[in-house]
Amino acid sequence: MTAMFRVVLYTQWKWSRLIVVLGTVAAFAIPLLSLQGAARADRGALQAQELLRSVQSWGTLYPLLATALGVLMAITAWAADHRGRHIHALTLPLERWRYVLLRFGAGFVLLAAPIAAVLIGSSLAVLTATLPPGLQAYPIALTARFAFAVLVAYAVFFAVSAGTARTAGIILGVIAAVILVQVVAGIANIDLNLFGAAHTVLLLGPGPLAVFTGRWMLVDV
Amino acid sequence: MARLRNRADSLLSTWREAQRLADVADSLERVRATAGYDTIAVGGLRIIVNPSPLPLREAAERAWPAIDSLYGSAAGDLAQHPFVIRAVDPDTAVRRTVLHVGIELPWDLDVRATATALLTTVTAPHLDPALADWLGAALRPTLRPRDEPAAVFVQLVTAPSEAVRGCFLGDIARCKDVLQVSDSTGLLGRWYVTPAEREALVTESFTDYFARGATAPSFQRCRQHRDDACTALLQSLPPGSLPRPLAQSARLLLVREALRAGGRDAYRRLVARPNAPIAARLSSAAQMDIDSLVVRWRNGVLTARPVPLTLPWWAGVAAIGWTAFFGFCALRSSRWRL
Repeated sequence: MTAMFRVVLYTQWKWSRLIVVLGTVAAFAIPLLSLQGAARADRGALQAQELLRSVQSWGTLYPLLATALGVLMAITAWAADHRGRHIHALTLPLERWRYVLLRFGAGFVLLAAPIAAVLIGSSLAVLTATLPPGLQAYPIALTARFAFAVLVAYAVFFAVSAGTARTAGIILGVIAAVILVQVVAGIANIDLNLFGAAHTVLLLGPGPLAVFTGRWMLVDV
Repeated sequence: MARLRNRADSLLSTWREAQRLADVADSLERVRATAGYDTIAVGGLRIIVNPSPLPLREAAERAWPAIDSLYGSAAGDLAQHPFVIRAVDPDTAVRRTVLHVGIELPWDLDVRATATALLTTVTAPHLDPALADWLGAALRPTLRPRDEPAAVFVQLVTAPSEAVRGCFLGDIARCKDVLQVSDSTGLLGRWYVTPAEREALVTESFTDYFARGATAPSFQRCRQHRDDACTALLQSLPPGSLPRPLAQSARLLLVREALRAGGRDAYRRLVARPNAPIAARLSSAAQMDIDSLVVRWRNGVLTARPVPLTLPWWAGVAAIGWTAFFGFCALRSSRWRL
């Protein structure tokens, strides 16, 4: 099983190495760029707000990067199977669920690189910066949030990609039906807020996309 | 000179006459607005309201403890200034007469919303103009007692002022300066300590004011990092228009701290001497010297540091759970592509 995993990992690395390398470089660079200028010796009280503003602006890139990495890695993991119409998988002396698990695990291992890059980049950025009194750095919390966001994004799109065209059609159909019902309800002046309900279910509390929301701040009060 | 004096006197008498007429109109309007209304009395609150389903008594019972705890023994004086409330149809299409007295509330508000309306419109008893000017905001019960000190904490950390930063780091004299409870001479130098702060103030907050007319050359010199020009421009501002380095919530919090420390008669002592300096009034209200009060205020603010940006434990568990769930969905996918 270990040998199989090594082979799957190697093939997935070959297919997705450009994504992994670029994602890792971006994950390393964003924290450093967000704290640019924070190490200046002449930085006075005027810059605390500017620093927070800069950190907040750059912070919007973390969830975007996490989503992009999750989507691209999930698509790449199944691209060869889709091209070969999944015949190769049928020829393997392996149950389907084991094959999927190997692909799923290999993706996780490859995604460890950008997650580690966020941790190293943010730690380095914090170590080289001189933070104004009262501000605190949160490199570990930021990395944990990024890791969870990457894992969730990867798992969602991996599940969609692993499914059949029929499954994808059902998912798209459900989304289209929700939009259609909401539009019709709006026209008929019916008090129905499906978008609000979807927002609550998906983005708030323990919703699947809740980890993407909130403030992605490397430095804050 | 005599002609100007006569003109000023004439204006004064006209203004007084206008004031009398306005008072009469106000009084008549009040009689017209409250005709046929009921009076609800809860504690020191007196609410004159038209008959409606609006749950005012329950709301007043909920609001009164907060009002009483802020104004203490002076809260009873609110009976002299009753609320005039008109419960109106929530349907905005319904036409209604225009009144210029009191406030209008839709009659379908619940108890919580009505209590909030009472708390946000209550007028502090005997508040004199000097205290009101210094505060810069109405002194009312706070709706979110934890948010106010947290907001002041953020100000202390992020305000673009070395004086505020000094206060954050424990310099009580700086705290008194930025709270405006020390003497008011040389405020510019004490509020905006460094040349960079003064330049930023001129070039960012007063660009339109100084960039044209006679001050334009000085403004240009200020932009070229000439501190003498920046200082001269800021000193030419009308009295009271120099922006305070800390927002009004910081001073409100100081007053709340003084009232909390001084007990039930604290508010009465605070408003007892309108001509005394603010520091003396706060000190009298809190029954402690102003330095101790400011130290207490600062300690309260520092303990109200906003919650750190750590991910709650359940968010991590939820993310792992959703990852496992979607992974399981993938494992259940079919190998057949038909």
